[in-house]
Amino acid sequence: MNELSSPVLLEHLFRRQAGRTVSGLAGLLGFEHLQLAEDAVQEAMLRAVQTWPFQAIPEKPEAWLFRVAHNYAISVLRRSTRLESKTGDLIAALEARTQSVENVDIEQNLRDDELRMIFMCCHPELAPDARVALSLKLVSGFSVGEIARIFMAEENTIAQRLVRAKKQIRERRLPLLMPHSLELPERLNSVLEVIYLMFSGGYATHNGEDLIRREVCLEALRLGQLVATSSMAAPRVDALVALMALQAARLPARMDAAGDLVLLEEQDRSLWDDELIALGFQYFSRSIAGEEISEWHVQAAIAATYATAESSEAIDWPAILGHYDQLLRMTGSPVVALNRAVAVVKVHGPEDALEALAPLENHAVMRGYHLLPAVRGRVLAALGRFTEAEAAFSAGLECDCAEPERRFLQRQLERVRADADSHMAHKSLA
Amino acid sequence: MPQYMLLLRDDRELFGKLGPEEMQKTIEKYYAWRNKPFVVDGAGLMEKAGRVMQKKNGSVSVTAGPYSESREVMGGYYTIEAASFDEAVKLASDNPHVNFGTIEIREVIHKSA
Repeated sequence: MNELSSPVLLEHLFRRQAGRTVSGLAGLLGFEHLQLAEDAVQEAMLRAVQTWPFQAIPEKPEAWLFRVAHNYAISVLRRSTRLESKTGDLIAALEARTQSVENVDIEQNLRDDELRMIFMCCHPELAPDARVALSLKLVSGFSVGEIARIFMAEENTIAQRLVRAKKQIRERRLPLLMPHSLELPERLNSVLEVIYLMFSGGYATHNGEDLIRREVCLEALRLGQLVATSSMAAPRVDALVALMALQAARLPARMDAAGDLVLLEEQDRSLWDDELIALGFQYFSRSIAGEEISEWHVQAAIAATYATAESSEAIDWPAILGHYDQLLRMTGSPVVALNRAVAVVKVHGPEDALEALAPLENHAVMRGYHLLPAVRGRVLAALGRFTEAEAAFSAGLECDCAEPERRFLQRQLERVRADADSHMAHKSLA
Repeated sequence: MPQYMLLLRDDRELFGKLGPEEMQKTIEKYYAWRNKPFVVDGAGLMEKAGRVMQKKNGSVSVTAGPYSESREVMGGYYTIEAASFDEAVKLASDNPHVNFGTIEIREVIHKSA
């Protein structure tokens, strides 16, 4: 059978095409037929997997999937018992689009459909965790199983979350429309939050290397760029894209060969992705062209400061501390305060950092968060207060965290114990 | 070398559990297997029900079907070359279809020269 040359499908073509086709179909059919749009795409892919292995891959696989999905939707609508007058119009619209599938205009239409779908999935009336799951499923073509893996949740939980969200869309009649100017700021902010939650879900450390994490990060980056190059563009969108690109650039350096975490300051900078850094800086300069300064701007500025440094010794810590001061004023977030404390160590020393950490100890958000005792432990060790540092790292190990982080804390604990021992030895000698 | 025919029956429900990325990966696995040197031939069958012909009382009756009573429908076949039945089974077990239905293996009657 070697006469059939080995065909190559573009990487992630099905996933991308699932998102585009669901968005395209739903754009024509309206939110009432969201399920039909999903079923049609599923059916098209099912037919592909059942028939393609015995034939050559269609010359334009995207167009094949698109056409089969549209034809399926048409046949379901034709069979539908309650033939409303609208059904005829929908069928005509679907048929027209099937015929223009190789038309260039359709690309722009699909981009707009995708944007409308993003805004619907990120509607503020939906629960925040539902917005993320819904976007990953409908816009990005991730499966329930994949979404569960990304957020370390049970498949059932994610499936139920999606069902509830889709029910809400129907009941509240959330339309697939671009938001009007009055509601735009709120709607756009929700989209940006969802995109960054998606990114963080992929960026979080987990047990073992899972390719899907990087894929989610890059997908979030793609969605950010899609919004940034649309009529919804705003400087804060550019800032978010810059932030994600600069952080994603560090992904290859974040773990060592043994799968252990490498601190930003200790990372091998030659492993950073140059293209993503360039993209990050390109969007960063676009973001500061306007008047607006959002949280995304400040976060991007921090990432940019790290990326500009030639080496870890050359990191401009006073600039980073300045950015964290600003971010803390804007958000009041204890997690920001914790990150700020790390910069305080570098600029003002551990004594001041310990003081900065003190108010965080009783913060409800920080309870059980392993990074607080981890930072505290490092600060105490720097002050030579080894017994307290040991206690802090041990407390960190009590928290819920991923295996690489647990190993990281374990290493810190062992190091501080060794330091304490040699310190004692020196003392007894003296 | 003896030839073996692999008859593939599909379980749509099992295929239906795949997400888009897994579907693509599955298609790629089928291709990788099909391009191996021992595969002689193969073809897929349209999914819609065929016709069954049978002579009854002197005339040929044609009925629609078979409507498979099980969920599994014949989806296609491959012909492969293998030194023995055991080897044929071994080669077929690498075909991704084992995850999505059944593969029936039959030795092809050798056309003697």
